[in-house]
Amino acid sequence: MKKMLAVLLCVGMTVGLLSGCGKSGKQEKKDDVTTITIWHDKEDAVAEALQEELEKLEPEVHVVLEKKSDLTEALKVVGNDPKAAPDMYFFAHDKIGVYAEMGILAPITDIIPKEELNDYMDMTLEAATYKGDIYQLPIYYETLLFMYNRLYMTDEEVPKTTEELYAYMKENTQGGHYGFVEQHSTPYYAAGWIYGFGGYLINADGEPGLDCDETIQALKYHKKFVDLMPGETEYATVNTLFNEGKAHATIAGPWLIPTVKASGMDVGVAAMPIIDETGNPISPYTGVQGIQVLKYAAENKSEAVEKVLRQLMEPDIGVKLAQASGCAPANEKCYEMEEVTSDDVVMAMKETAENAVPMPNIPEMDVMWTVTGNLLTDVNMSGKDINESVKKAQKEAEQLIENMK
Amino acid sequence: MNNRKKKWSEVVFSYLWSAPSLILILLIVIFPILYTGYISLTNMNVYHWNNYEIIGLENYKDALLVFDNGFLTALLLTVLWTIINMILQLIIAFLVASLLNLKGLRLRNIYRTLLIFPWAMPGYVSILLWKTGMFNSQFGLLNQWLEKFGIQPVRWLGGNVSAFLSCTVVNLWLALPFMITIIDGALQSVDKSYYESALLDGASWLKRTFYITIPLIKPIIAPSVVITTFTTFKQFDVIYLLTQQVGAKTGADIHTILTYAYEKAFITNNYGYSSAISIIIFVILIAFSVITNIKPKEERQ
Repeated sequence: MKKMLAVLLCVGMTVGLLSGCGKSGKQEKKDDVTTITIWHDKEDAVAEALQEELEKLEPEVHVVLEKKSDLTEALKVVGNDPKAAPDMYFFAHDKIGVYAEMGILAPITDIIPKEELNDYMDMTLEAATYKGDIYQLPIYYETLLFMYNRLYMTDEEVPKTTEELYAYMKENTQGGHYGFVEQHSTPYYAAGWIYGFGGYLINADGEPGLDCDETIQALKYHKKFVDLMPGETEYATVNTLFNEGKAHATIAGPWLIPTVKASGMDVGVAAMPIIDETGNPISPYTGVQGIQVLKYAAENKSEAVEKVLRQLMEPDIGVKLAQASGCAPANEKCYEMEEVTSDDVVMAMKETAENAVPMPNIPEMDVMWTVTGNLLTDVNMSGKDINESVKKAQKEAEQLIENMK
Repeated sequence: MNNRKKKWSEVVFSYLWSAPSLILILLIVIFPILYTGYISLTNMNVYHWNNYEIIGLENYKDALLVFDNGFLTALLLTVLWTIINMILQLIIAFLVASLLNLKGLRLRNIYRTLLIFPWAMPGYVSILLWKTGMFNSQFGLLNQWLEKFGIQPVRWLGGNVSAFLSCTVVNLWLALPFMITIIDGALQSVDKSYYESALLDGASWLKRTFYITIPLIKPIIAPSVVITTFTTFKQFDVIYLLTQQVGAKTGADIHTILTYAYEKAFITNNYGYSSAISIIIFVILIAFSVITNIKPKEERQ
């Protein structure tokens, strides 16, 4: 009896293991040209809004939204396999370069004429463009925001310039309190300072700019702010400091707002301070979230794909997402509506977006996160010489980019 | 003749019975290695994703460039890391297991369950809990204690030495349950009568440990020690998550060969090149295992 059980278990496990590689069940769905599968990795509020909007297409088109937490890796593996890949995916724009080079994406202009995209903000279209083709239908975008706790910082005290911010930090950073904290050694956050000085991490041609004069200047200037922040500034520490009222102000993404509001904070959002040295505000990266179409779907299900895209081009979805999750719509038309303009957070993002830089979407950017992170850590945390560090990082970045090919 | 036939059928059947597991091993272990070897000879990368072709040993030529000074430092550190961790692990696990086997110990099973606990938690979670809960300079428990005594908070993961020690502590926390379980089991298999006669002869605890316990449990725990040595050698999670996670780098510059290879190759999305590096590391690992498995002459006979 026991033996039988063991044998059965063995067989069961083996079969289970092997069938994991199979694609049973998907076949059916794929052949149906009116069913569209969309992968995404978004929070529930966003997914629900999308689902609701796309249900309007029933019964002509049936849309299945599937949440994939490892979307980027999964797409690399199954992207060219029409049986396993989705028809579209909903994600930030910064991966389109990788997938376009891999040859798994179709430009959305294959389906929607370019002229019809005129309503979209220039920044979002710029983000969606890789090597001259538009690969994403932008839906909403996220930028970092300057946030402050009204308990400590009044609306009048909000610094207009970085020098004012510095003065505030000097005055208030003591006894476990910090005037201002940010993730100073995380590339995504430090980029705002670097771009504000006119520097860059990598340009559109895939050349790193870590050792250009503007970047060096930015790192030097930023250092004095870093000295007034805690040494450890990863995501959890910074957000907890702000959330617990130990930091008066921070630069963070809109996703932090629901958390701090839930803890009862009266949180204010303001425009980025202007850097005195250059006259430009801190110019953070933006991530544009939108929908990408896979090649196979564009070729074989173009009708259904077009319907989905057109449904998402209506201002409705932008408005709905702004209300549901505080997302800033990419469609300019949405900003004619009261529901959107009355939202402080959305409007602050819109203002920041005027100067914000879309994250580079070229494949080379993948290595820049690590290299820039190391550079920032060397300069800000280990106190290494800036000029030497940037040279080392630039060389490293060039070497890694060389190795990508 | 008959005898020989029987032998043959025995051989065939023994292979037949083990065929499922052999096939599984082939699929799970051997195939990926071979496939990695194949990929390492191609130019599979972002720019040649579906249309990759065999380019010979190009990738190995590039890969050898990675094996520069930084790699040698990382290799030395990895060896040091493995030795320190294994020594500490064996000593602590042996002591704890001996305590668990004390005569007249009450609630033995509760202690055992508690000691297994770190093993039951996903490693990723434990590591990040240690990072924010213990070592964090703002909220970490260690620093809150220091603060109680009026000492300035320390950035545990900031300096190389303190980060190395912190990583060791976390690794021990993760690895000890396994070692304790193995040694605990081995200790129970030792025949009690040896100790009784040793006691009659007046042997001290140390003498009993060195002349009875260790020689007797050695063959039982040897395979586990070898396995653990390998997992320690190719440890990635602990060091990467504690000190190098993108966006949460701490400033410590400690690299094992795997974190080094990750930063120098795997992030490039160049699968051919990364596979070449993996194969080279694989060869290094095999070399180490051969070296550690060479027994002194007298033991072999």
